[in-house]
Amino acid sequence: MGQVIFPNFPTWGIAKGFILFGIAMYVVFGFVVVRQVKLMTNTLQLGYEAIAKTLSYLHLMFTIAVFIFALLIL
Amino acid sequence: MPDIFISEEKKEEKKKVKENTPVEKEVKEILGKTLIKKDKKSLIASYLRNPKGVDFEIKDKKEKIELLLRMHPITNIKWILVSIVMIFAPVALKSFPILDFLPGNYRFIAILGWYLITTSFVLENILTWYFNVYIITDERIIDVDFYNLIYKDISSAEIERIQDVSYRMGGVTRTVFNYGDVFIQTAAEKPNFEFLAVPKPDKVVKLLQDLMIEEKQEAIEGRVR
Repeated sequence: MGQVIFPNFPTWGIAKGFILFGIAMYVVFGFVVVRQVKLMTNTLQLGYEAIAKTLSYLHLMFTIAVFIFALLIL
Repeated sequence: MPDIFISEEKKEEKKKVKENTPVEKEVKEILGKTLIKKDKKSLIASYLRNPKGVDFEIKDKKEKIELLLRMHPITNIKWILVSIVMIFAPVALKSFPILDFLPGNYRFIAILGWYLITTSFVLENILTWYFNVYIITDERIIDVDFYNLIYKDISSAEIERIQDVSYRMGGVTRTVFNYGDVFIQTAAEKPNFEFLAVPKPDKVVKLLQDLMIEEKQEAIEGRVR
């Protein structure tokens, strides 16, 4: 690991906390995107609703996967 | 009653005359005009005349969609180029040791996070382009706007309330790809509608003018839908 100013200060622990918090916020954003796509497809039926919903769910799964990776790897 | 006392020759003449009557011709012409070609293009196109399989929240049962418009696909070039740069940015980072101070596992998560942001960026732009549409029906014009995936704004105005329609098309890109802005002034609650960067703005204006004339004729004749 790199140099730390204070040897006993849990720098990387705090960094991990911030990173996990940031990714958790992104997971919440992923849920918001899913909900918004649902609202959009309810407002307009244009023929590709299934694809739009699938993309939003894939995006959500990606955010959750990144969160789990960060939890395990960091 | 069958024709008993008319010779067969005359019967044949009568049949021929019936097929060629002006009334029948006129009816066939009218039927031909009403059978307007439905747009067979994919629903991801930006200019769809009489689109099939399209519906929206505030649509009336008898309302018929004449035209569905989106911004011209060329307007997506900017974010597509930015996305390509974002996708290849981590590869370029190998030449610039920006993240070298981070341990290996943190670097990996940083790159994953970068691709997560890239995915969100691409998805947001696709959805914004796809769902921000302008609809012209036989009765109304509707502007559907989704801002940043969170804010929804749907405005509509009746055709009979349209006062003025104009379009603007300028610049090399717009002239080459034939897209421009259509401006509609109405006497409705929202006085100005803007259809920005839509394909074939001249045809859009023509359609609106035809619909306005039709509405005026309906008003004069006292026809009710």
